[in-house]
Amino acid sequence: MGERDSRSDAGITRRDLFWGAGIAVGSAAIGDRVGQVVRTTEFETVVGSAIEPFYGEHQAGVRTGMQAHGVFVAYSFSTNCNSETLAGVLRVATSEAERLTRGEPGLSDTDPELAANPARLTITFGLGHTVFAVDSGMGLSSQRPIGFDELPAFSFDRLEPTWSEGDLLVHVAADDPLTVSHAVRHMTRVVSSIAKPHYAQRGFVRAQGVAPLADVPRNLFGHVDGVANPTTDAEFDSHIWAGADAGWFAGGTQLVLRRISMKLPEWDTLGSKDKEEAIGRRLSTGAPLTGKSVHDRPDFDAVNSRGLGVIPEFSHMRRAHTGEGRQRFLRRPFSFDDGFFPDGTPNVGMLFAAYQQNTTEQFLPVQQTLADFDILNLWTTPIGSSQFLILPGCDAGGFVGETLLG
Amino acid sequence: MFTRVAAIAVVASTAILASLTGCAGTPVDSTTPVVTDVWLRAIPDIEVDGDMTGMFMTVENTTDEDVYLIGGTTDGTYTSDALDAHEVVEVDGEMVMQDAEGGILIPAHGTTQLMPGGYHIMFWNLTQNIPVGADVHATLNFSNGTSVEVHAAAMTVEMGQETYVPNGSGMTP
Repeated sequence: MGERDSRSDAGITRRDLFWGAGIAVGSAAIGDRVGQVVRTTEFETVVGSAIEPFYGEHQAGVRTGMQAHGVFVAYSFSTNCNSETLAGVLRVATSEAERLTRGEPGLSDTDPELAANPARLTITFGLGHTVFAVDSGMGLSSQRPIGFDELPAFSFDRLEPTWSEGDLLVHVAADDPLTVSHAVRHMTRVVSSIAKPHYAQRGFVRAQGVAPLADVPRNLFGHVDGVANPTTDAEFDSHIWAGADAGWFAGGTQLVLRRISMKLPEWDTLGSKDKEEAIGRRLSTGAPLTGKSVHDRPDFDAVNSRGLGVIPEFSHMRRAHTGEGRQRFLRRPFSFDDGFFPDGTPNVGMLFAAYQQNTTEQFLPVQQTLADFDILNLWTTPIGSSQFLILPGCDAGGFVGETLLG
Repeated sequence: MFTRVAAIAVVASTAILASLTGCAGTPVDSTTPVVTDVWLRAIPDIEVDGDMTGMFMTVENTTDEDVYLIGGTTDGTYTSDALDAHEVVEVDGEMVMQDAEGGILIPAHGTTQLMPGGYHIMFWNLTQNIPVGADVHATLNFSNGTSVEVHAAAMTVEMGQETYVPNGSGMTP
């Protein structure tokens, strides 16, 4: 297919080329032209031109296949923010975000040239606890969704205000870092009349075209992360998206964003066996220690010759395991690598983004179990924690937040 | 309290002829320029931000004749003054805005962009704040006798804050 004339591609979308034909070309290239970089004008913009739909019952950026680059930007409301000014800002923020995700510059975009390559850009809006506080002046304290309770302090937390809380979230992700940067810059302008930046937490997973789409992402420990994620409509409806009984919040979801610092120098002193037992999975395949492939169900009852669990009691997978139960949530972790601290230790870790219907029923008990005991706590420290309601999606002509503020 | 009208961009584009004959909503007269992507600079606080603002848009002329956007009117919500067509030009090394003499040219089969730092439709003497997200009405008038109703979403923008120089006299407001 590499020799195929692009002019004969009428009827095949660029997206089809990327997900279908593009992959075929890649594998042909490996066989025929080992060691050569194959670039044709047909495929050189397939990543940049790919578009994720913006409108719908749910916002994009949650169920969306993870993009290579993600940033969570939290803003603090200015004193003039009230339910009316917030509605106005979300109204224009919605339409500006929708334009950017199509590769169209925002109307007030000062750098329209930078909007040309959406690269599966998603822009996702969320609101923090303060919106529902009795003293917020918003008049929305009776609208707080069930289960959106503030998490307690956990024993292993070393939270820094720099990476915690936030009134308004704009989560931007795309397969291109320049696209992400431009979108953040423009959305910051769009919300600037009522909100100032509090933090930007940037992370990454593998770039498109590097690994098979079916691969489960790996974190900086080298382990796969997110194997047990829900995937089907039914699973998302039962565990992730707020249902019709949630009133204005139906179609939304609750995000817990934890910034997890990783002590990689200490981790690096472990041998492979220790690294595998800490998690309960093999590094090579990602399979549970009781299985052969990454999606095999872990057998927590299996014991070794000494009568100990093959998947150790202390392992992270056993401690965090929820099975098909109520606690199951969506893990969407990005890694971060922000260089080194002044003492030379690496400033690295994970932006652990967990999405669920009900934070108190789902995230909290799992987190409490890990806080009580998880061998992984030896090499990880939570240094930031924020909670946001990811607002329901909207249709063309509407705006994200309209069911609460419209 | 703003209206709940869908805010962004365009809207009813209706030839005067069509509206006079009660045909609003029918296909647009082909001599009427096509106006899209309409927005304006929000003025959240008149006391702080000044009592004037600019409206921006894309105007396409599908006819064989040049057309000029000569100004407009509003429903009076934010100003009772007529809307002027402005341009931004360089005078003595400084960017200033002034009346666009004869209007803003929309060339035959061409498109003109009104944007901060360039052509814009000027709102004078605002009588109330225009918060971000407000839905602002205007009727735009063209030299060929057509007009277009638009609704613009108010947005924050940091560029294009030129001094106004009436008749190029160097006077500032």
